[in-house]
Amino acid sequence: MEQVIHTSPMFWIIIVGYFALILGFGSYFARYNKDTNDFFFSGRRFSWWLITMSIVATGVGSHSFLKYSAKAFEHGFSSTMTYMNDWFFVPFFLFGWLPIVYYTRIRSIPDYFERRFNRNVRILATIAILGYMIGYIAIGFLTMGKTLQPLLGWDLWTIIWVVAIIAGIYITFGGQTAVIFTDLAQGFVLIFAGILIFMLGINYLGGFDIFWNALPPDFKLPLAHFNKPANFNFVGIFWQDGVAGSVGFLFMNQGLIMRFMATKSVNEGRKAAAFNILLLLPISTVVTSNAGWIGKAISIVTPEAWDATVKLDHVFTQVAALVTTSEVVFAFIIAAVAAALMSTVDTLINAVAAVVINDIYRPIIKDRDEKHYLKAAMFISAGATLLGVITTSFFDNFPTLYEAHGFFHSTMTPPLVIAIFLGIFWKRYTTLAAVATFIVGAYLMWLGNAYPAFLIGPFDHGIQMNPEHPYSYIRALYNTLVCLTSGVLFSFIFTRKVEVRIEIYTAKVVANARAYFNKHDANATSTRDIYYVVWGGFCKIVNSFVKNAASDEKLDGITVWTLDKARELFKGSMPNDEPGLEPIVRWKIEESDESFMRFAQNQMEEMAANVGDLVYVSDKRKWLGGLKSAHSVYAEPHHEDGVVYLTPDLVDAGQFVQGRLLRAEKEM
Amino acid sequence: MHELTFFRTWLPVIYLYGVGGIIFFSGMVVIFKAKTIKRERQRHQRWIKILYFGFFYYLLLHVFLTYAALNF
Repeated sequence: MEQVIHTSPMFWIIIVGYFALILGFGSYFARYNKDTNDFFFSGRRFSWWLITMSIVATGVGSHSFLKYSAKAFEHGFSSTMTYMNDWFFVPFFLFGWLPIVYYTRIRSIPDYFERRFNRNVRILATIAILGYMIGYIAIGFLTMGKTLQPLLGWDLWTIIWVVAIIAGIYITFGGQTAVIFTDLAQGFVLIFAGILIFMLGINYLGGFDIFWNALPPDFKLPLAHFNKPANFNFVGIFWQDGVAGSVGFLFMNQGLIMRFMATKSVNEGRKAAAFNILLLLPISTVVTSNAGWIGKAISIVTPEAWDATVKLDHVFTQVAALVTTSEVVFAFIIAAVAAALMSTVDTLINAVAAVVINDIYRPIIKDRDEKHYLKAAMFISAGATLLGVITTSFFDNFPTLYEAHGFFHSTMTPPLVIAIFLGIFWKRYTTLAAVATFIVGAYLMWLGNAYPAFLIGPFDHGIQMNPEHPYSYIRALYNTLVCLTSGVLFSFIFTRKVEVRIEIYTAKVVANARAYFNKHDANATSTRDIYYVVWGGFCKIVNSFVKNAASDEKLDGITVWTLDKARELFKGSMPNDEPGLEPIVRWKIEESDESFMRFAQNQMEEMAANVGDLVYVSDKRKWLGGLKSAHSVYAEPHHEDGVVYLTPDLVDAGQFVQGRLLRAEKEM
Repeated sequence: MHELTFFRTWLPVIYLYGVGGIIFFSGMVVIFKAKTIKRERQRHQRWIKILYFGFFYYLLLHVFLTYAALNF
C-alpha cells in the first residue's frame, strides 16, 4: 500500500493562499467582460506574447505533469515525443485554419460547419465537439484527483468533487479574459516550478554527471522503440498524438481557437503559435517530464530513498516531496501544478459554454439582451463542470492517465478532424460526404473497436495487441483512414451536381407525400400510405441535409482556396495591404452615435491608410499586451497633428486612461 | 529495457520525418497553390523561412538527441 505524504498546516495555507492569489488575479481582469463576445473571445485585442504564455498553462496543464512524469519514469526521455511532433501541421494551421477562423468571425467550430455545409451538419459537429470537450474536462479532473490523492489520502471521488466545485465557481464568474490572465501568470510559474524541480533533483543526486551516467542509453533516446511495448511505442503514439492529437489540438480545440481569436490580428496569432511550438513546447516537455527522469535516477543511485510501491501516476508528487528540502517549496510546486490543471479545465468549461450558447441556446432563445446570454453561459459552465465529473469514471478504468488520454484522442478526434480538414482544404468535399465522415466513419470506428484484430490489425506496424485495451494508440491510424476514406469516397459519389439532383428529387417526394396526406382519408390505410410514410420520411431527412448545400458562393472565405474573399468580407471592402508606420498619438473624445476613429491627415499618410480601412489602437505601454485597446474604422481626417478623436463607445471598450498616449496601427 | 537495434534507435527518427515530412511539405504545397502565403509580401517571406526552419530545427534536434544518447 502506497503511503500518504505527510504535510503540516503550513503546506495547506500555502496551497490555499496560492489559489486565492491566482483566482484574485484572474477575477480582477473579469471586469473587462462587457458582453458574451468579451466573455468568450476577449474582444480580439491581445498581443502575441500574452496569448502564447497563456497557451503554455493550457497545454502543460492538459498534458500534465503527472501523465508525463509517469511515462518518463517508465520509458525515459521518449516521454518528450508528444511535445516535439507538432510542427508538421503548422503550415496548414498558420495559413489555412487560423485566418479562416479569424476573418470569418466564426464563434465556434460547429458554426464553421453550418457555414461550410448546413444546419444539420452543424448539429452533428456540435455533438462530436461537446463529447470531445467533456471528455477532456473529465481527464483534467481525474488528473487533479490523482495529484492530490497522495497528499490528502482522501477518496479519489471526494477530491474530484471538491476540485470541480472550485473550478466551476471560478469559471462561472470569470470568463475568457480572466482565464487568459490567470493562465498568463501560471505559464511563467509552471515553467519556473518545472525547472526548479529539475535543478533540485540534480542537486539531490549530486550533479548532472551522476544523473546522466546513471541512466542507460536506451532510457536517454528521444523517441520510443518503433513498435514495443503495446502501451508505449513510437509508431502508435505518432499516429495518436503526432497526427490525431496535433490536428485535434490545433484545429478543433475550441479553447485554443478562442485564444487565437483573442489576438489583435492574424499575424499576432501566427506569432503566438509559432513561438509556442518552436520554443515553449521543447521547454514544456522538460518541465513536465523531468520529475520522471529524476525519479528513475534516484531509484538507481539511492534505491533506499525511493518508495518502490509508488503508483506511476504518483511519481511526480513522490519526486517533488523527495527533492524539495523545504515544505514551502514543495507546497509551491504542488500548488502551481494543481492550479495549472485548473486552468486547463477552466479553458474547456468556458469553451463548452461558448459552443452551447452559440450553437444551441442562441438559435432557440433569440433576441435577448447580452446580460441574459451571459447569465445562461454561467449556468452552462456549471452544468459542463458537473458532466465532466460524471464522465471521469470512464477514464479511471485505464492503467495510467497517459493511456486514457491516448485512447480518448484516438477515438474522439478522427471524424471531426477529417471533416474540418477536408472542409478547409478540399473544395469538392460535399455535405453528404461530411455527414458520411461522421456517421459512416463512426460506424466503421465502432466495428474496429468490436473486431480490433481483424480490422485494426493490418495497420498495427507489428505492435502486439493487448486484449484488455486493444491498440490504444495505433487505432488512431485506422480511425483516421476510415473517416478519410468515407469522406473522399462519398465526395466522389455525391458530387455537388448529384446533391442538387437529390435536393430536387427529395423535395418533390416530400411535396407529393404532403399533397397525398392532405387529400387522404385518415381511416383507410393502403400500401401507398406506407410508401409515403417510409420513403417520404426518408426523403425529408435526406432533403434537410442537402438543402442549400451546393453553391459556389457558400464557399467564399471558408476554404483555403477562397481566403482572399474572407479578408474582403471581414473588412467589408478590398483590403489595403500597403505597409505603414505605427504613430503614437494623444486621444480626445468626439461625441457621436456612430463608432469611428478620426486621425490627422499626416498620421493617415504615415500609416498608408484610407478612409474606411480598419484600425487598431492600444495603450502605448506594450507590457499591457493590448488589454486597453479597441478596433474601429478610419473616418475622414482632420488637421490636428498627433491627435486621434475617438467616439465614446470606443473609449469605453478600450478602457483608455485620460492623458495616456496610444499606439495606432492600420489593420488592413 | 530494449536492445539498441535499428528499430529502437534510428527507425523512429526516419519514420517521424519521413511520414511527418510528407505531411509538412504537402501543407507547404497547398498554401502556396492556394496563394494564402504570398511570396511577394515581405512579411510572408519571413513566414516561409520560419516554416522551413521549424521543420529542420526539430529534425536536427531529434538527430542530435539520438546521437547524444548513443554516444555520450
